[in-house]
Amino acid sequence: MVGMPAGLDIERLYDEHAQALYAFLLNLTRDEADTRDLLQEVFVKLARSPKLLAGVREERAFLIRLVHNAAIDLMRRRGTRERTRDNLAACSSPFAPAADPDEELLRNQLAAALVELPPEQRAVAHLKLWEGMTFERIADALDISANTAASRYRYAIDKLRDRLRPLYEEIKKAES
Amino acid sequence: MSDELEQFAQRLGRQPLKPVPPAWRAEILGAARAGQPPRRSRLANVRHHLAALLWPHPVAWAGLATVWIFILALNVSTREATPMVAKQFERPSPEMIGELKKQQRMFAELVGSAEVPDADRPKVLPPKPRSERMRLVAA
Repeated sequence: MVGMPAGLDIERLYDEHAQALYAFLLNLTRDEADTRDLLQEVFVKLARSPKLLAGVREERAFLIRLVHNAAIDLMRRRGTRERTRDNLAACSSPFAPAADPDEELLRNQLAAALVELPPEQRAVAHLKLWEGMTFERIADALDISANTAASRYRYAIDKLRDRLRPLYEEIKKAES
Repeated sequence: MSDELEQFAQRLGRQPLKPVPPAWRAEILGAARAGQPPRRSRLANVRHHLAALLWPHPVAWAGLATVWIFILALNVSTREATPMVAKQFERPSPEMIGELKKQQRMFAELVGSAEVPDADRPKVLPPKPRSERMRLVAA
C-alpha cells in the first residue's frame, strides 16, 4: 500500500464502521456530498495519523466522536448560511425507501421530524435508536455525561412522538 | 420511560437506514492510502477555504472590507485633484533663482557671516592633470 502507515488496517476499519458513520453523518448533515467529504476526511486523517487509534478500546465510539466533531466544525463554518429546516427536510433522507406506502410515509415524516430536533438531540437519538448504544457509550462518543445523553434522548423521543402521533396511531390501528 | 414510549422508540429504531454507496469504498480508501485531502470541486474548494478563513470573525472581516472600499473610493475621488496641486507649484525661472541667490549673498554680507555659500567655496584640490597629481602624491 503506497503511503499507508504500517500497522493500520484501514480497509477493516472502513468495512466495520463506514455504514454506521455514513448513516450518522447523513442524519446530521442531510447532504450526501458533505457526508462523503466528512467520511473521507476522517479516513484520510486516520491513515495519516494511525497513532490516533493507539489505546482506543471502543473503536466505534471513537470514530463516531471523530465524525461528530468534523460535522460540528462544518456546521459552525457554515453558521450564518445554514440551510433552513424546510430545505434540510427536502434533502437526503437517512432512511432506505420502503415498498409499503404507510411505512414510506412514516419514514418521510420521521426524517422531517428529526430535522426539527436540535443537532445535539438528533445525534443522541440516532446513536440510541439506530446504533443501539447505551447512554454510557453515547456519553463517551459525544464527550458529554451519561445523564445529559439520557435527558437529550428523552427530549428527542417526546418531540418525535408529538410530531408523529397522528400517523403512528393510524398505522397502529391499521395493524391491529 | 413508559411502555408506550418504549414501543414507539422501538418502532422508530426498526426503520432501516440507507446503505453507504458501494462506489465510495474505493474512492475513500484510495484517498486515505494516498493521504490526499478530501476531493472537492474547484468552487467547493474555494468556498471551503473562504469559509475556513472568514467564519471565526465575519463582522471584523466585513468591517475591514468596508474600510478598504472607503479608502479606494476616497483615492479615486481625489485622484484628479492631485495634478492641479502640482501645477500650482511650477519650477521658478532661472532669473528668479539668480535673484534669490543674490539676495542670499547680500543677507550673508549684512549679517557678517563668515560662511560662504557652497557654490562659491574654493575646492581643496582643484582638478589638475593626472601627471601633476602623481607628482604631488610622490612628494
